[in-house]
Amino acid sequence: MARMKFLCDVERCIDCNGCVIACKEGNQVPVGVNRRRVITIGEGKPGEKSISVACMHCSDAPCIAVCPVDAIYQREDGIVLVNKKTCIGCGYCFMACPFGAPQFPSGKVFGARGAMDKCTFCAGGPEETFSDEEKRLYGQNRIAEGKVPLCAAMCATKALMAGDANVVADAYRKRVFARGSGANAWGWDKAYGKK
Amino acid sequence: MNRKKNFRFILPIGVLFLAAVAWAGSPQILLSPGSEPSTASFAAINKIFTGDWQQYGQLFTSWQGGLFNRIFLLVLTIVPGIFLLHYIVIGAKSFSHAGTPIKFFGILTRLLHWLAALSFSLLVITGLMVVFGKFLGGGALIMSGRSVHLIAAIVFCLSAAGLFLIWLKDMLPMPHDVLWLFIMGGYLSKKKKPIPAGKFNAGQKIWFWLATIGGGVMAWSGYNLYSFAAPTDQLRQMAILHNFLAAALVGFFIIHLYMSLFAIKGSLTSMISGYKSSDEVAVMHSRYKI
Ligand code: HEM
Ligand code: HEM
Ligand code: SF4
Ligand code: SF4
Repeated sequence: MARMKFLCDVERCIDCNGCVIACKEGNQVPVGVNRRRVITIGEGKPGEKSISVACMHCSDAPCIAVCPVDAIYQREDGIVLVNKKTCIGCGYCFMACPFGAPQFPSGKVFGARGAMDKCTFCAGGPEETFSDEEKRLYGQNRIAEGKVPLCAAMCATKALMAGDANVVADAYRKRVFARGSGANAWGWDKAYGKK
Repeated sequence: MNRKKNFRFILPIGVLFLAAVAWAGSPQILLSPGSEPSTASFAAINKIFTGDWQQYGQLFTSWQGGLFNRIFLLVLTIVPGIFLLHYIVIGAKSFSHAGTPIKFFGILTRLLHWLAALSFSLLVITGLMVVFGKFLGGGALIMSGRSVHLIAAIVFCLSAAGLFLIWLKDMLPMPHDVLWLFIMGGYLSKKKKPIPAGKFNAGQKIWFWLATIGGGVMAWSGYNLYSFAAPTDQLRQMAILHNFLAAALVGFFIIHLYMSLFAIKGSLTSMISGYKSSDEVAVMHSRYKI
């Protein structure tokens, strides 16, 4: 089965934040939550670089390992999803995550954290596919429609790629080859190891 | 001027310009657009997104992924197991209630103690609900447990602070406490020899310090876990601290329950009425000067 992965090419990302907005609007993400963010290093200086990061959908995901109620699970295609009805908002997954992906809207009692929200790879959630409940809690299920996630679909420079790991890696390899020698894509060593 | 002439004029200037750029040695200009992602820029990005994950992130992940709930399970089985054995083999101590009772706990003390007892029991129950959440199915039940944990923490802090001030003088360590620890408070024998202890014995003092100062540390780390205001690496340390200290507290809480509910008959009534029998004080708190 295909393994889904994200890859952001820092040589192409121009900090337009289109992916952030596409995700936020397209998935009706809770107030105060950004599933994806773009950061820029060395702004205004030569060698300035930008990158867009959400959840990497890790192999051996640390968030799954620490969740005290087993609310997070990984699909066969590698996509890591949370069950918001099981989640208790303890925040452990945020502490375990190397990428700061899990986000928390403030809950009803004393501003304590509500259920965790994070990037779903636009694959919805554990509710019935295409149901209203799924859409309300998790946003679109574009994977089930055979489309790539909103963020990657709208990326104008195609810095952000999403999809079958082998296809993505091949496309990136060709770019790196065309540009000359280079290192690996950012985050892949931490998120995927050798898997 | 014809075109050829024009070209002859521009070419040398162009060559000169390129040579000047190369000579000025501005690798920044030549390298920045379309250059390869360098290790240095990845490191700078890492600093923002992942921090020093290897330091505490990895530690927290592996401990929360199994060590913590195993420690809680051990504490919850071994500590009561030991005391059940003690109860069967050595049994409870009971004292005659014939003599004039001695006033031990004032009304404010008793009130604050039962507030602390109630709130702390809730803290333990709701804390353990989170720790063993997967066996309870998670969801709304444990989410409301977290809210109770938060309210109970506030009540506990206030009452424990009061108890701290009231008992501080009597709980300071004394030389005879070492003696008490050596004979394990006399709990390993059925005989009623006078035990070296003032108003409170060394065991009670340990519980006092652990519950008050330790409770303060729990509140501080717990507040950080609630507000999420600290940097991520510090949150990880707070979570580790909160869990280890909670395990110690739960262990000593069980000891406190056993001692006050089972090991000494009539101990519970002393925290309700405020009086202890003179016989009990003479033996268990032989150095207490009234
Ligand atoms: C000594 C008194 C204690 C105080 C003052 C205290 C305080 C707190 C506070 C304020 C929080 C954050 C609550 C929130 O985010 O909603 C917290 C979280 C937590 N506490 Fe405690 N606690 C205490 C004892 C315990 C004990 C005995 C346990 C375990 C047996 C425990 C386990 C936990 C756990 C697992 C969390 C994280 C989950 C969560 O945030 O809901 N605590 N504590
Ligand atoms: C349901 C829980 C609890 C019960 C049933 C309970 C019961 C008692 C009883 C019967 C005594 C009198 C012991 C004696 O002198 O013979 C006592 C004393 C005491 N309690 Fe508690 N208690 C509870 C929880 C707590 C908590 C949460 C604290 C933390 C602040 C605490 C702190 C103390 C201290 C410091 C003393 C005096 C010294 C000692 O006897 O250890 N207790 N408790
Ligand atoms: S990036 Fe974070 S939230 Fe996403 S799978 Fe990895 S550890 Fe989990
Ligand atoms: S916040 Fe929710 S998903 Fe994250 S570890 Fe806690 S219970 Fe699991």
